[in-house]
Amino acid sequence: MHEKKVMDAGAVKSAIQSLAAEIHAAHGDRPLAFVGIHTRGVPLADRLVRELRYRRDHIEQGTLDISLYRDDLDNLAALPTIEGSDIPFEVEGASILLCDDVLFTGRTIRAAINVLLDYGRPERIELAVLADRGHRELPIAATYAGITVPTRKEDYLRVHFKETDGEDRVIHYQSETS
Amino acid sequence: MTTDVSPYHRKDLLTIGDLDREEILHILDNAKPFKDLFTRSVKKVPTLRGKTVLNLFYEPSTRTRTSFEIAAKRLSADVTNFAVSTSSVVKGESILDTIDTLQAMQVDYIIVRHSVSGVPEYIARHTHASVLNAGDGHHAHPTQALLDAFTFREVYPDMTGKRIVVAGDILHSRVARSVFEIMHLLGVEVATFGPATLVPRTIPSYVRILHSFEEVFEFDPHVLYLLRLQLERQKANFFPSMREYHNRYGVTTERFKTLRERGTWVMHPGPVNRGVELVDDVMTYERTLINHQVENGIATRMAILYHLTPQEPKRLPLPEEIRA
Amino acid sequence: MSTMLIQQAHLLLPGETDLVLRDIRVEEGLIQEIATSIQPPPGAALVDGTGRILLPGLCDPHVHLREPGREDAETIVSGTEAAIAGGFTHILAMPNTDPPIDTGGMVTYVRSMAKKQSRIPVSVAGCLTCGRRGDKLAEIADMAAQGALMVTDCTHALQDEYILRRALEYTRHFDVIVGVYPDTPALSGEGVMHEGEVSFRLGLQGIPAMAEEIGIERDLRVAHAVGGRIHIQNVSTAEGVASIRRFKERGLQVTAETTPHHLLLNHHALEGYHTRFKMLPPLRTEADQEALLEGVKDGTLDMIATGHAPHTDFEKNLDFSHAPFGVIGLQTALLSLYTDLIAPGKLNWAQLIQAMSAAPRQLLKLPPLSFSVGSPFEAVLFDPAAETTIDRPTLKSRSFNSPWLGQTLKGSVTHVFLGETEIDV
Repeated sequence: MHEKKVMDAGAVKSAIQSLAAEIHAAHGDRPLAFVGIHTRGVPLADRLVRELRYRRDHIEQGTLDISLYRDDLDNLAALPTIEGSDIPFEVEGASILLCDDVLFTGRTIRAAINVLLDYGRPERIELAVLADRGHRELPIAATYAGITVPTRKEDYLRVHFKETDGEDRVIHYQSETS
Repeated sequence: MTTDVSPYHRKDLLTIGDLDREEILHILDNAKPFKDLFTRSVKKVPTLRGKTVLNLFYEPSTRTRTSFEIAAKRLSADVTNFAVSTSSVVKGESILDTIDTLQAMQVDYIIVRHSVSGVPEYIARHTHASVLNAGDGHHAHPTQALLDAFTFREVYPDMTGKRIVVAGDILHSRVARSVFEIMHLLGVEVATFGPATLVPRTIPSYVRILHSFEEVFEFDPHVLYLLRLQLERQKANFFPSMREYHNRYGVTTERFKTLRERGTWVMHPGPVNRGVELVDDVMTYERTLINHQVENGIATRMAILYHLTPQEPKRLPLPEEIRA
Repeated sequence: MSTMLIQQAHLLLPGETDLVLRDIRVEEGLIQEIATSIQPPPGAALVDGTGRILLPGLCDPHVHLREPGREDAETIVSGTEAAIAGGFTHILAMPNTDPPIDTGGMVTYVRSMAKKQSRIPVSVAGCLTCGRRGDKLAEIADMAAQGALMVTDCTHALQDEYILRRALEYTRHFDVIVGVYPDTPALSGEGVMHEGEVSFRLGLQGIPAMAEEIGIERDLRVAHAVGGRIHIQNVSTAEGVASIRRFKERGLQVTAETTPHHLLLNHHALEGYHTRFKMLPPLRTEADQEALLEGVKDGTLDMIATGHAPHTDFEKNLDFSHAPFGVIGLQTALLSLYTDLIAPGKLNWAQLIQAMSAAPRQLLKLPPLSFSVGSPFEAVLFDPAAETTIDRPTLKSRSFNSPWLGQTLKGSVTHVFLGETEIDV
């Protein structure tokens, strides 16, 4: 595998700032709930909330665990540990911004939408990701994406956050086969 | 997206003795998010969609069966009840025949209740399906013990050094055996109290035997766990009468006062014999956890179903394959 | 006249405890010559005994053949073939068949069937009470006249001391042994295994040791008071051994047996709920095992009998409570005792031969087998270097309820001889 640093700490910081600006431009001060998908969607949601805290009044925040909704439980070598979801606001009628680190096949987002719908009927759900690496298997798109990274399907794109991994950076592990 | 994975690959849950402290805590930790689901508008998750859970009850138990049924349904599994009477089994069909039938039906999880100890273990040896022991003979009732530990932990998140008294008919109780084991593994000091005929000397050495309610109060348990007394034990002369049992070993009105003053929590696996194990007042006592145990039973059993991994089923050969 | 010469086998000479290398010449069923080297006579059948041990034919005084009635579990043929494969040249068939052997006619019938079908001699025991119901004496004199050597109700304990007293008194004038399974049914109850910490943990109802202890004590006291020839079957407890030792010291004429399983296994074997370890009396504790071995060594327990009790797969596949008691043992007795006691030096060959050939043969009034000129020759050639895997194809019994199923044991029975005739093993 060939390792390539796609973003360093500075790039991560400015990408999140511009995501926040975009979100703010779209929503203004209308109520919005930031929901991070476990594991690395949670720090992304936190960062976005931190960026926007002083610019808007109505901020709700939650976390989502999709492990019970995965469509590949049968194929996994080991069962995911359950973190549990924490949705401390009324989902019925809410505007929700799902946050995740990487958008890839779209299956995680599909699962996350299903989880949310089991809490109630939100007015709308949008999606913010730090990196979009393509290769969708479902008709799902990010509403806001920090960067777009061209990848091969068998590559890995790994987002590191200070909170979960000690430092901010994005690494692209490129497979050597053509 | 979740990256942490469970280190466990367990096919069956037969007895608490199969688990260590870490695995127990792992299951109990997982049970919490399942319990959180109960506050959502949709209480169901799609985790076991397309899987079949079979309740194989050789001994009637509406409560346990229903708890498993709800747990499985909240995981989106298809649930079927297969009630067998023990008498018909002796006549011509061995358990092995029943298992072969179930194998052919390709069920993924078998929940077994049997009046004879060891049957779930026997079934587990002969099926690809995950086997959950829902109580066998006097041997084990691991899901009850796990839900009890979950309930205990909701009251005392750090169970280490806490004290429990398990009271009643230990000799014939699978619940007692499993509760002893799990509480001991989780660092709880375990004592027991009941008629000497029903508290054999062969109980595990870590269980302290108390001889009177005075000693129970001296031991000062955080939880008093009352077992259900099977009324037929009186006939076999394990004790002379219900009246004497209640007076000496039951929670009488007097003793209830003391319990309440001390803030002792009360647990019972149900169903309760009012006036035998305890007086009516205990049922309305705010620290009686019996209904919590029932609610937690569903979440815990969901976590257990999630925790187990059935093996790949063997397909029956097609007739053309047999001919070839 | 045929002659057989066994060359260079290890064997025990009468009164010795160490094996020596010898040649043995056999003619007309008798040992004609024993020497360090014998020139092969012309036309003699030669058997190479190199590296093997020649043992006198073993005798099992406690075998359930199941025929008539339960031929699905065992027949006279399959049971005796298992005996031969295990190194036995004589067995005593128990009377709990269906119908039971409780009349002279049944004794004659089973003996004649065995004579026709079995390649080794089979002695027959009759019931002590009609239908083994424990309340009414069977026609003991009649059965004895037809050749029954023992009367016993097997594991059906007698209803009370009264019937045992009458049986022992009544048999004083016959040459018949009263075999008893020592038990106190009120204490054994519905138990399925030894009562102890293992039964508690497994949640299985226990059979307390005191049920046997009281049984032995009571049976011996009755025999001591009224006479008769009592034989205690299946001793499994340390206290039971102590009682027998005490009564023997007082001069009571009593014999007693234990089994290979009770010597070699204990209640921990039941931890997987395998019904092939479910038996009566139940497997006891490590301390009992030690006391039993001591009892065999000092002769308190005269003999080791297998109690060979075949049960079909269907029966043994029932749940632990409903599956019947009993295990097979003919084919594994010698191998398992060799593996776990002889090879590690806990028992010697002289002690084993005493317990598995000399004593049971004496009980059944058979001539002793010794390697001396003029003695009848019934013997087994045992290869201690070989191994035998106990699996379904190996077992000659129709049933497979062996505690050693799936295990590999040390040693192998390579030849069985009745006189100069070699029986295929």
